Amino acid sequence: MSKPAWEFKIVRVALLMALVLVAASCGVGQQPSQGGGGGGPKKICMMPKLVGIPYFNASEKGAEEAAKELGVELVYDGPTEAKAALQSQMIEQWIQQQCGAISVAANDPDALAPSMKKAEDAGIKTSAWDADVAKDAREVFVNQATFEAIGYELVDVMAEQTDGKGKFLVVTGSLTAPNQVAWLEAMRERMKEKYPEMSIASVEPGEEDLQLGIDVTKNYLRANPDTAGVFGITSVALPGAAEAVEQEGLEGEVAVTGLSTPNDMKPYLESGAVEKFVLWNPIDLGYLAVHAANAQLEGDLPKSGTFEAGRLGKVKMVAKDEVLLGPPLVFTQENIDQYNF
Amino acid sequence: MSAATAVLRRFKLSREVVLLGVLIVLMVVMSLLSPLFLTVGNLLNTSRFFVEVGLMALGMTLIIITGGIDLSVGSNLALVSVAVGFSYAAGLPLPLAIVFGLVVGLAAGLFNGLFITLLDLHPLVVTLGTFALFQGLAYGLSEAEAVSDFPAWFAYFGQAYFLNVVPGQLFIFIVAVAVVWLILARTSFGRYVYAIGNNEEAARFSGVPVRKVKLVLYSGIGLLVGMAAVIYTSRVYTARGDSGLGLELDVISAVVLGGASIYGGSGTIGGTVLGVLIIATLRNGLTLAGVPSTWIVFVLGVLLLVAVFLNEFFRRREE
Repeated sequence: MSKPAWEFKIVRVALLMALVLVAASCGVGQQPSQGGGGGGPKKICMMPKLVGIPYFNASEKGAEEAAKELGVELVYDGPTEAKAALQSQMIEQWIQQQCGAISVAANDPDALAPSMKKAEDAGIKTSAWDADVAKDAREVFVNQATFEAIGYELVDVMAEQTDGKGKFLVVTGSLTAPNQVAWLEAMRERMKEKYPEMSIASVEPGEEDLQLGIDVTKNYLRANPDTAGVFGITSVALPGAAEAVEQEGLEGEVAVTGLSTPNDMKPYLESGAVEKFVLWNPIDLGYLAVHAANAQLEGDLPKSGTFEAGRLGKVKMVAKDEVLLGPPLVFTQENIDQYNF
Repeated sequence: MSAATAVLRRFKLSREVVLLGVLIVLMVVMSLLSPLFLTVGNLLNTSRFFVEVGLMALGMTLIIITGGIDLSVGSNLALVSVAVGFSYAAGLPLPLAIVFGLVVGLAAGLFNGLFITLLDLHPLVVTLGTFALFQGLAYGLSEAEAVSDFPAWFAYFGQAYFLNVVPGQLFIFIVAVAVVWLILARTSFGRYVYAIGNNEEAARFSGVPVRKVKLVLYSGIGLLVGMAAVIYTSRVYTARGDSGLGLELDVISAVVLGGASIYGGSGTIGGTVLGVLIIATLRNGLTLAGVPSTWIVFVLGVLLLVAVFLNEFFRRREE
């Protein structure tokens, strides 16, 4: 084969492509108009912290349900790794993509602020769900549960099982994580006000390590046989605490509850180590986020009171820029099979 | 000899022409998939996202041509980001904090270079170690906290628009491309780089200061990482220990896609720039067309395998 001829051919093909490109660009030269107006359906763009994990797949299900009901177009996409820089990149592309509303679950509240502000400047309605962005970089936050509601519910569930009294161990992730500190505070408050015979005897960090959580719980229970129950307040700490109680053969004697996901907890509900545990419903959260974004687009999201969110009914505005999903969800043997995340 | 180099040069040219063809085809396909792709606003905006990877890819090209590799660039970026953010938070004026960050980047690169040249270790092993080392340092120093209360002018590096449309960092990238291209294609230092990649022993016996060249290359990429880190930190307006995590793979992908041989000895700045542009075009275009990001990652994988296949094809024909 003669090389120069082959090369010449490639150059010719490249030139031809360039021509096609110029021709194509003539057809699409004009800058598209921004925002959700115009003839087509409204477009709501919604971003989880990352895609491909059961929790956020559950939210997607709810979001799709709401979009179908409302007759809006939904784009649900996010980075494949939970990284804020990838999210901000995607937001900037969405600004180009004629999204009427953008709602994000932020991996970092401040890192997403510049791009979210840019979206707002471009006339796009902005909101956050699941994890907030900086307050001045979004119009609304769709909150899954207040710290208070979670803390109170945990204590109430435990009180049911121990007749409202006893000493308790709490296994957390780390002692400094702000959400866990806030939950603990709410738990102590609830015990003081409603169950004066209940008290938290110790708080042990499990460092989000299943084995460590098991060991910490086991050691504590051996040293303190008068313990009435264990709270595991992260999705790793709770299965760890349940596993420890099971290994020690203390099911039924030491009550276990906390915050975790149904898929992680199903075996312990079946074995009886755990009777009930608490979380919010990510399907409803996705559903509500789309309803809130749609209300923003319609311009009828109130600053206070309640607003109508489809099958969820009246949903509370807990602040002028914050929607609350509602009370936490208590998982039991009866309802756990409805959830897959 | 001169005939051989002429043929070689011709082949390098044709490889770049192929890449240019791929880029143009991609742009046509993307503009058909989404009417939003081929707009001035979108194309310029996209350029904001490849500058950081692009800057690092320039340095990586030279290193890969010598037969080396630097796996620590992503971690080094995190380290510089943390150095800038936390020295500023500790009271250092921001301009000095930025200079300090660049020095940290350079020093980290020099550290790699010293290890590789003084102990004669394989760069893959050394930078695998410093990949973890820099990452750990970045996490440790920041204690997993973030700094984001920068003054408004800091946004200039990563968020500013020149004449309202052109991202400011594009100019930095263009200047860097010109400088690195000049060094590689027009100086004796550039010849040394190719010589080391073709046959390190032969280069050493011909009087090429192999160690010095390598030391300069690894320090140089450290400086480029420093620049990328400042732009990155400004763009997301946040200094965090997990910035840049995994970017080394994007960087190496762009360089390999651009035709540099991982065995050393070949590669061009033009090819790398095209590699960076092709990846950026694909990501942006597919996102605009509504393809889920999980599938974009898949398409990028396919593209890389095709590139590796083509490179091997060209390499065999060269021989």
